[in-house]
Amino acid sequence: MFLNKDNYLKFYIIICNVVTFETLYCLINKPLFELNSELEKKFLNDFEKNQNIVHKICRIYTSNQDQHNDLFQEIAIQVWKNYSKFRGEAKFSTWMYRVALNTAISLYRKSTRQIKTQELETINHKIEQKDYDDTKDQQIEALYNAIRHLNDIEKALIFLYLEDKPYKEIAKTLGISEVNARVKMTRAKDKLKKILKK
Amino acid sequence: MSLAEYKKAWKKQPEDYGKISISDIYKMTQAKSTSIVKWIFIIGILEFIFMNSLSFIFYDDTATEREMIEKFGMTSVMHIIQIVTYLITLYFLYMFYKNYKEISVTDATKSLMTKIIQTRKTVRNYVIFNLSLVVFISILMTIASLRTEYSHFNTKESAIFIFAMLIAVVLIVFIFWLFYQLLYGILLKKLKINYKNLLDLESK
Repeated sequence: MFLNKDNYLKFYIIICNVVTFETLYCLINKPLFELNSELEKKFLNDFEKNQNIVHKICRIYTSNQDQHNDLFQEIAIQVWKNYSKFRGEAKFSTWMYRVALNTAISLYRKSTRQIKTQELETINHKIEQKDYDDTKDQQIEALYNAIRHLNDIEKALIFLYLEDKPYKEIAKTLGISEVNARVKMTRAKDKLKKILKK
Repeated sequence: MSLAEYKKAWKKQPEDYGKISISDIYKMTQAKSTSIVKWIFIIGILEFIFMNSLSFIFYDDTATEREMIEKFGMTSVMHIIQIVTYLITLYFLYMFYKNYKEISVTDATKSLMTKIIQTRKTVRNYVIFNLSLVVFISILMTIASLRTEYSHFNTKESAIFIFAMLIAVVLIVFIFWLFYQLLYGILLKKLKINYKNLLDLESK
């Protein structure tokens, strides 16, 4: 018989393992806070107003539209998941720079999202109208293309430079010393200039 | 064209690029995250389960083995090993969950990366612990077999037996290690490169 005396222990271990997995999986998937419509409304408004920042980051860190949408969605999820931690001490946009860049640099893996594609048709349509290659402004397009040749950290540095962020804030966002940020920035700028000249 | 001029152009870029409506943003936030942190957590849990089950796949608690262990006077040793293993597993699970909970995307980039790598390392250490345990128990069992069941073996036969056991253990450990390196190599390649690029000046 399958469940003889010797197999009981194995069976028990398997059950224990399954229970452990289920419990922990439920824990990570549970919402961080109860659905709060006021908070949600506030988040949606804040995010909608500042979505331009996210689009710029997506354009820098991805090379096609699917990836752009994918990263945009992941950033939206991360900002929403952590929105309750935003205390309003800094500007929402400043706080969002950090979450969005962190998502692009450390959390995001290029993948094709299977779900939601149908629902996002409207978004695809909107972005298609302003495809990367159709951008009228050649300078900006050249700049984006050049930035895409940098590594992920250099991309963040150059992006924050273009967004006029002071070194103090750049260093704080990345968690490195100001001196280090300055040295890295000089290198990144030199690299970018070389690429732009090509 | 200088970089300052590009910067001016950057600031003038259209603000309505791919504008997404509030209802679409809402739909997006209802989707599940596919971040690597989530993958690390799921794979980590699977590893705990797999590694925890490993000893029961390789070391059958059959009557003959029990008899052999008894004959060799290792019953209490094996019991202690089992209890210690469970305590250590619980410790690793606790540390893993604690590290995982501390990962926050609102941290500075360096701190976020450090915490992700730390969570990873907890599972890696657990795998190392389990593989060491496999090696340790294999050595014990080899000695026990040679003293009891195969006590009639001459020196040459014993040497062959030890050699065969050694090969088997090395092979098992090697396969695990290879699989492990491959899995996390793929998952954490980007993160590790970025971590190195971020810190290359700090460490010097």
